[in-house]
Amino acid sequence: MGQKKIKVKICVGTACFVQGGADLLLYEDFLDPHLLGLCEFEGTSCLDACKRDAVGLKAPFVEVDGKLYSEMTPRKLSEILKEAAHVGG
Amino acid sequence: MLEVNNQYTLMKRKIDVEVLKSYFSGTLANDIELLPIKIIPREREPNRCCVYKERAMVRYRIMALLGVDIDRNDDEYKSLASYAEEALAKKPEILPTLTTITPGCSACPDEQYRITDACRGCFARPCLANCPKEAIVFVNGRAIIDEKRCINCGKCLDVCPFHAVVHVPVPCEAACPVGAIHKNAAGYVEIDHGKCIDCGHCSRSCPFGAIAERSSLMYVAKLLMKGTHVVAMVAPAIEGQFPGSLAQIKSALSKVGFSDVVEVAEGAELTARHEANELREKLDGGQRFMTTSCCPAYTGLVDAHVPELAPYYSQTLSPMAYTTHICETRYPGANLVFIGPCLAKKVEAASLPSIDSVLTFAELAALFVAKGVDVKEMPVVEEPVDSTTYADCRGFALPQGVARAVVKRSETPFKTMQIDGLDKKTVRLMKIWPKRPPEADLVEVMCCEGGCLAGPGVLVNPKIANRLRQGIDVATVGTKPLEAKRHV
Repeated sequence: MGQKKIKVKICVGTACFVQGGADLLLYEDFLDPHLLGLCEFEGTSCLDACKRDAVGLKAPFVEVDGKLYSEMTPRKLSEILKEAAHVGG
Repeated sequence: MLEVNNQYTLMKRKIDVEVLKSYFSGTLANDIELLPIKIIPREREPNRCCVYKERAMVRYRIMALLGVDIDRNDDEYKSLASYAEEALAKKPEILPTLTTITPGCSACPDEQYRITDACRGCFARPCLANCPKEAIVFVNGRAIIDEKRCINCGKCLDVCPFHAVVHVPVPCEAACPVGAIHKNAAGYVEIDHGKCIDCGHCSRSCPFGAIAERSSLMYVAKLLMKGTHVVAMVAPAIEGQFPGSLAQIKSALSKVGFSDVVEVAEGAELTARHEANELREKLDGGQRFMTTSCCPAYTGLVDAHVPELAPYYSQTLSPMAYTTHICETRYPGANLVFIGPCLAKKVEAASLPSIDSVLTFAELAALFVAKGVDVKEMPVVEEPVDSTTYADCRGFALPQGVARAVVKRSETPFKTMQIDGLDKKTVRLMKIWPKRPPEADLVEVMCCEGGCLAGPGVLVNPKIANRLRQGIDVATVGTKPLEAKRHV
């Protein structure tokens, strides 16, 4: 197999963490087990995305294979990863 | 009860952050009127009927943040700027803690059971057979409920093989353990403050956000701006609420301007020690049992609704009260701000004149974010106070934590039992205790199911908070399973 894993970086800077980012850390609960196996997760220091965002309303941020996504929810993350797994596989 | 983080609680936090940012940059008076538009831009896909209603609700949220009692002081002609000016001019009076936003209330229909078109009109008709009030009638071969006869017992729902019966509750009424919230003649929410115990269950249950907590966050922000001596008294539940260790959270508090930080666990140690002695004395004196008293929603419940239980709750001071005394001696003349997961502590604080203000963790989060303080990047500074004697009392935030700390400090063993979460059923049970005592020496009562870690002012799912409390790094916390047993 040797398939490359999808790299998921969940921002755990305070702004993201308190704006619902903490819930994303429960990925083992809300993601499909098959999908879980294809991904590699990491809680990362502030990605600085919030500082570029003038209104400051876009947290939490997640990076999937280097691409940044904003206003992340468990449901949205699940969809993005399904898509990424589909394209990659 | 809704989840800790939902669209409404996240919106609340965004509003708090935007108001604070604007306050700290000195432009609040100019910005505040336009904040609802900034927060709800025209392009937003609204969750309510339209963006204009959402903006109106943001205005109400800002009023609650400014400490306004919306029930009594909703003046549509008054600008937010003048509300803000008033809020910053003097220490806000924030009792009663809960206020309702009638325009946000959906005027939910009365609680009812209804039979949907999944009803197959079966031959056995268990709904009809089990209804104690003969409220089920069959029309055109299908069951319907005669509302005049129905007593909402739910038996039909339990027995229908097709799950054709639905229960439609009024979420705020269902969540209130004491029947203090009801719909008025017009169908909108109303709180009976004589009955209310300030547990906050209603505000966490309303999916429309029509019940708001009045805040004193702006007052605290002003103290921090002025640079006066402000001491943060942090409740034991704070560990796990932010992405970092307890020591890092303390550093973050200093960074936003608190001069000193005292753990309420320090006062909790005194509570536990005195409660152990008190319990021994009471049992020796012939009393059958004693309950804890550190949960202010529970003591409020007893005082207002179960007075016959009053002789049974511990007269020992709460951790908040002991910690206040510690701070009075350690930092004379300082402003004391209690930071916890609880709304009822705002009521308890009203009886402790040294406490200036009570914040929730969610409000503290807004302070961190508005000031750009990242807990995860905070340095660990050495503790000014040796915490080994009270470290176990950080467990006061968890079910069994109080009882364990008391038992640990007693020379003789006690039998303990827990009431983990108050609802209408547990209140009924408590009412019979004076006649039929519980089979325990010490009953630990926590109003919120899951303890203070699941209080109305928390911001992290207890599953994550518990793992962080075990010292797991936030970067890997998702992969670590929860330890089955942890001795607090």
